[in-house]
Amino acid sequence: MSRTVSRGAIIAALLKKELVAYSRDKLYVFLTLLTLVAVVALFWLLPDSVDESITLAVSPPVSVLVEDARDALIAMGATDEQLAELDELDLAEGEEGIALVEFEAADQMAAVIEGSLEAYRTDDGVLILRDKAAGEDKPEDAHRVRVDVGIGFPETFITDVATGRQGVTVTVYEDAAVPEEIQGAMRSFVREMAYQFAGVEPPVTFADEEGMVLGEDRAGNQVTMREKMRPMLAFMILLMETFSMASLISVEVLQRTVTAVLVSPAKVTDFLAAKSIFGTALGLTQGLIVLALVGALTATNWPLLLVTVLIGAVMFTGVAMVVGSAGKDFMGQLFYAMMLTVPLIIPAFSVLFPGSAAVWVQAIPTYPVLDALVGVTIYGQGWAEVWRSLLLATGWLVVLFGIGLFTLKRKVESL
Amino acid sequence: MTGPAISVEDLRYSYGDLEAVKGISFEVQPGEILGFLGPNGAGKSTTIKMLTGQLTPKGGAARILGEDITADDPDIQAQIGVCFEEKNLYLQMSALENLDFFASLYGIKEPDSMELLRRVGLADRAKDRVQNFSKGMRQRMMISRALINKPKVLFLDEPTDGLDPVTSAAIRKTIKEEAERGAAVLLTTHDMFEADELSDRVAFINEGRIVALDTAENLKLKYGTRSVKVRLRDGDGVREEHLELDGDGSSVRLAELAASPDLLTIHTEEATLEAIFIELTGRGLQG
Repeated sequence: MSRTVSRGAIIAALLKKELVAYSRDKLYVFLTLLTLVAVVALFWLLPDSVDESITLAVSPPVSVLVEDARDALIAMGATDEQLAELDELDLAEGEEGIALVEFEAADQMAAVIEGSLEAYRTDDGVLILRDKAAGEDKPEDAHRVRVDVGIGFPETFITDVATGRQGVTVTVYEDAAVPEEIQGAMRSFVREMAYQFAGVEPPVTFADEEGMVLGEDRAGNQVTMREKMRPMLAFMILLMETFSMASLISVEVLQRTVTAVLVSPAKVTDFLAAKSIFGTALGLTQGLIVLALVGALTATNWPLLLVTVLIGAVMFTGVAMVVGSAGKDFMGQLFYAMMLTVPLIIPAFSVLFPGSAAVWVQAIPTYPVLDALVGVTIYGQGWAEVWRSLLLATGWLVVLFGIGLFTLKRKVESL
Repeated sequence: MTGPAISVEDLRYSYGDLEAVKGISFEVQPGEILGFLGPNGAGKSTTIKMLTGQLTPKGGAARILGEDITADDPDIQAQIGVCFEEKNLYLQMSALENLDFFASLYGIKEPDSMELLRRVGLADRAKDRVQNFSKGMRQRMMISRALINKPKVLFLDEPTDGLDPVTSAAIRKTIKEEAERGAAVLLTTHDMFEADELSDRVAFINEGRIVALDTAENLKLKYGTRSVKVRLRDGDGVREEHLELDGDGSSVRLAELAASPDLLTIHTEEATLEAIFIELTGRGLQG
């Protein structure tokens, strides 16, 4: 009986077998479903807003500062312009992201920031201080106010600076957790205010704020944890499928079923083609499903995401081929899986932290894939912005997938 | 096609410095079963691996159905069936799915999978996953898989190794049927009984070389001794007498014993293949 079988028919038969083998393995199915459900659940459970507010405290209260200063300034012959400035002075109250708390005394304010006193505010806006160590009860119908930064002004601050008095001391209290840039901003704010009333140009020039913002200015529209998870989850699902694919390959190699396939009309190239197609399809499908479930896939960005996830899926299939070929048993496979995939995960963590990734992180093959995913899913970038990342990712794809094919080919030929 | 189904000439293979097959030559005709008899590590499996395309020979030549094995011709692969020593079946798939999958690799649209399973006594377990099969059932699956493409050349590597007598007998019956159908069968085994029962010819392979190749009968005649064991009543007991048939006066003595009223039984004592192998190589088949 002699019959010629097309390569396409052989690869189709191998793909069908892969699908059956994958679907029959409870572990693969369980892990896939669990990962899908878990990542999507995690996404929707994460906060979709960013707490950007800084609670600023002042002492004495603004009203004290302003009222005392007004009479003095009028007596000094202040211009209408200066008085108008004074009226408008609200110490940034109502400014986006800044909550103002006013303390009667600077030592109270310092104690609250330091944590030895607790501050509560009622719905009517009344500030109540509680000395917990002294056994005072928590006030009812009031919510706790955490103070990040406090500015202790002298009561004659405005008139002092307006009259050009030297040696005016303003104390800035900061919680240890307040970022350095906020601390600096508060000092600048005080100096700026002082010079406004002094009517003299500040001795230092401040950088143009608009020019200081690098990249997309997301002031007031910061990236939420949920948004950050979008590219990360797609990346993680690709990684999970790497384990599944590596396991499928490993079983085939360890049980030597591949040997039985290769004494039939099927060739090594058919086997490699089927594994490549199946691994890529597995990663691509699930990556896109996750992106769709977390709302990252839109009518406009889907071609770009398709290409990005496709590159990632092929890249991870190459990794799976190396892992699947390397292990001589389950533990061996786990060892190689960890050794090869842990470094590849590192770029995913760069998403979670602000700022640019370190140069060595950018040198990891998966970085450009993640960079493109971040660009598209978080910042809404298009082809023009991410093509460099995609090009670099394609370069890494060729390297990793090539190594995977070579390793697996060598392995099956040596059986 | 006329001529041998398998033709091997001075075939060689080495694993690094270790020469596993040192220039062997043989032929297998269609419908013939050639038993490759030798201990573990003798080079039997390496020879099969070369002939089935799993290994590339380091020297010599071999043809399957007239085609050079190094040509990597899928048409030749479509004509062979291989039963591996390892039970390399897809465990998570059913018996039927295993056979249907391999049939699809051969481009068989309507495979006789159920009929094959019936032949090996697994029809009632067709839809069970192979992972739930016993060792004997898996081996029968291996045989049925090797037959899925109705091969003209069948390579069987230790097909009954470690199996119970009933399963072994069933597998031997199937092998004979395949040879009767016209398939050339190359059977490797270290079971001298199996080789003797199944093989039209037997090749003794030791340390990568064929040390003898002939029918089992001729080998026994060539290397064994012709003798009979006669058992006679001796008072209340029984005594035995061995007679070399080729010895001087042995025929006269045999006639005397046959006529004796004390005669109980006469048995021929031909040499076993294992005894001949030991005589030729100085080592046993199980080594």
